[in-house]
Amino acid sequence: MFSTKKTLLAAGIATFAFAGSAFAMSGNSGSNSGDAAKMDGKYASNYKEIIEANGGKYLDSKVIAQILGKDAMNGREGLIGKLDPNNPYSFEVDDAIDGGDHGNGQCKVPAAFLDVHNAAKKHYYDDSTFVANGFGTPIAESAMKIWNISVDGDGNGLPDPKVGMTVEKGGEVYVKFCGMCHGEFGEGAKGYLPLAVDQSLVATDPSAPAPMKTVGNYWPYATTLFDYIRRAMPFWTPNAPFIGDAGYMGMVGYIMQSNYIPKGFDKDGNPVQLDDDDFYNSVMLMKQNKFMKNQGNFFCDHRPVVHNPRCMKDCPDYMVGDGKGNIHHFTEARKLPDGSFQYNVPQRLHEAPPGVGHAGM
Amino acid sequence: MTDKIVEKVAIQTEESRNQSRRAFLKGSAAVAGGVLFTKSALADSVDGVNKFDPVKAVAPYKGEKEITTVLPDQIERKSLGFGVRKYPYGMPSPYEKEVQRRTLEWLTPDSMASITMTPIQSLNGIITPNGLHFERYHGGVPTIDPAKHRLVIHGLVERPLIFTMDDLKRFPSISRIHFIECPANGAMEWKGVQLNSVQWTHGMMSCVEYTGVRLSDLLKEAGIKPEGKWIIPEGSDASGMSRSVPVDMAMDDCYVAYAQNGEALRREQGYPIRLVVPGCEANMWVKYLRRIYVHDVPLQHREETSKYTELMPDGTAQRFSWYMEANSVITYPSPDFKMQGPGKYYVRGLAWSGRGKVAHVDVSFDGGKNWKEAHFTSPVLDKAWTRFEIEWDWDGSEAFLMSRTTDETGYVQPTMPQMRAIEGTNNVYHRTAMVTWRVHPWDNGANGGLIQNVQY
Ligand code: HEC
Repeated sequence: MFSTKKTLLAAGIATFAFAGSAFAMSGNSGSNSGDAAKMDGKYASNYKEIIEANGGKYLDSKVIAQILGKDAMNGREGLIGKLDPNNPYSFEVDDAIDGGDHGNGQCKVPAAFLDVHNAAKKHYYDDSTFVANGFGTPIAESAMKIWNISVDGDGNGLPDPKVGMTVEKGGEVYVKFCGMCHGEFGEGAKGYLPLAVDQSLVATDPSAPAPMKTVGNYWPYATTLFDYIRRAMPFWTPNAPFIGDAGYMGMVGYIMQSNYIPKGFDKDGNPVQLDDDDFYNSVMLMKQNKFMKNQGNFFCDHRPVVHNPRCMKDCPDYMVGDGKGNIHHFTEARKLPDGSFQYNVPQRLHEAPPGVGHAGM
Repeated sequence: MTDKIVEKVAIQTEESRNQSRRAFLKGSAAVAGGVLFTKSALADSVDGVNKFDPVKAVAPYKGEKEITTVLPDQIERKSLGFGVRKYPYGMPSPYEKEVQRRTLEWLTPDSMASITMTPIQSLNGIITPNGLHFERYHGGVPTIDPAKHRLVIHGLVERPLIFTMDDLKRFPSISRIHFIECPANGAMEWKGVQLNSVQWTHGMMSCVEYTGVRLSDLLKEAGIKPEGKWIIPEGSDASGMSRSVPVDMAMDDCYVAYAQNGEALRREQGYPIRLVVPGCEANMWVKYLRRIYVHDVPLQHREETSKYTELMPDGTAQRFSWYMEANSVITYPSPDFKMQGPGKYYVRGLAWSGRGKVAHVDVSFDGGKNWKEAHFTSPVLDKAWTRFEIEWDWDGSEAFLMSRTTDETGYVQPTMPQMRAIEGTNNVYHRTAMVTWRVHPWDNGANGGLIQNVQY
């Protein structure tokens, strides 16, 4: 379930976090105090009581820390052993909680929390004493036809397969309504986001501008593209009736083609690209949804990544200044042409733009 | 007795008036009869008994020349001020006109999909005035008629319901103070320091009191089906903002707010209603809320895939990173101020954590080598700004000021080199490491006492 990349990342963190282990934790870890957490191998055996005692908040980091004890406080490396689908405390979740795998199989709560999840539900919403107030008015699902524009990662909510147009036609609609801001080929224009830039996402030079994240190199789902552009684009008249579902579908085809997302693979395993006269509809979109290039590279929240002790005196070098104990080794903001420092105060007084920085974000 | 001492001290220190404070401090040791005029001399005695010592009490004024000019009367005393109802809705004094939300034009190409920052350096306490609450729009600000506004809860529920504003206000209400922070707060500082102001480094956040209806009350009313695991709040603005929130979180402490700091929400903050997701990324606090869709899986929408995911150096990306980590910043002194000379300062700032309450704030004056615990000067609330303060005797030499939050989970705010080593510099979001203010030495010519944002 975990990509090698991800494990490597975790290992990288491990090396780093260990640097601090020579220093005692402050008494404030809030994790393994007293009887609350009897560690049974990798986690507290009384995890149910701990969760109960915390009002059922099994997703709370404090609760997780109490259950996982020292390991959780030792950074991600303490959790590596737990990042394993067969381990009940892996941070991969049981499908019964989050609803299932659905193509990414990530970002879930631990499987072992399943039974406590049910207990927790009681705290929140299986309230047998609940009596409806009767405020509000019932509404039929059918009345939500126009408002309900949600599409999920499985394609639920996409238009009927009859709705669509050829990729070429989609391109014409795109050029008409989107090209002026996102570039005719999705290369971006006037500072607006590009939609198709095939940059590597791996950091090489930390001071170089961050890579552009676009549909081809970053987005994990194709369904998101249809949902988003129908929901929010073109920027000044979103959800436009004059474009309609067919037009939005066609534009997805064009943007997918510009990002070289294949529609399948030939018998030699080579990707087959979209043709201009392919009819683009929800069936084609869902086919391509499986071939999004970056889909496997997302992982769920792995924070906190750094676990420092609350050091008060003569702290170790790795926590001081530049991380090597040098407090005079720092970078500073670019200065104004006359060599003076740039402050907000003068801007407040003169309303001039600051004139520093870059648009890299 | 005291008068005599004042007199004596004044005469004795007259000649040192134009010397630097540092030189003065050294000289004063002799004057005060061998007692070093330092913080420790002023602080509690070892046995904990605090004695008022008039010599020490007047000591700081040594070297200041007594004002003898007769104070002229003020013009405001000689004429009437304005009467009631000149401003049916009150405005700040014109002398405060520089205290404004500000943006950096190079951040985004368009003001309808942009951000302004709160002037945190000019604020006190833990409440952000409504007019200074930071703004973040993805499709401009709509002006919605509350009489026409509706909220629908549908999807995997027993009983889809539609609510008017009047319906919502019939539910039990709650009021809580919470911080709200854009996960891109401080994003400009990943690759290195850029700007000298707390407004730029930390201004994509505010803290206000919200009043509204518990989301759990609304969801119970509609009755979530067992398959309903996620809720997807959606806005009625041009962006149709949508995020997926686990139903357990929704049932816990989320609420639908219609008021902020006692009055109706501002349009900028989602008038007439917005979602409040305490401790979590502001992007999830969907504004202009018109629909809550209950579903079995997260929808994987643009704001939880393309955006608000964190790119790591190895090319992988973290997603569903909802909680804002513990953070803090020294607001005074900070780069918008200049030191007024060596001597005593009350260093103050803000601390907060999306994981609960702030437990400790420690302040370092030497770049992280040594730390002292600050005390809180505001209530310590769950997922809210907390004010801290600490006394500092600045001797006029170069100093590197940092503040560090430990939250109630035991998490200690990391340094920037630590965070960068793991998360790289292309991450954009959740840059929650400590910042460093470099105080230039008092005798550093024109730059003496300047406070500069630097980064390790
Ligand atoms: C006036 C300029 C403008 C036009 C025209 C426009 N967009 Fe956009 N587009 C934007 C802006 C601004 C954003 C970012 C909005 C935000 O900050 O949330 C955006 C975002 C997007 C994104 C998300 C990009 C990402 O990486 O997350 C897509 C996809 C997109 N637009 C597609 C389209 C399509 C398709 C059309 C034509 C139907 C279109 N846009 C027309 C300005 C424009």
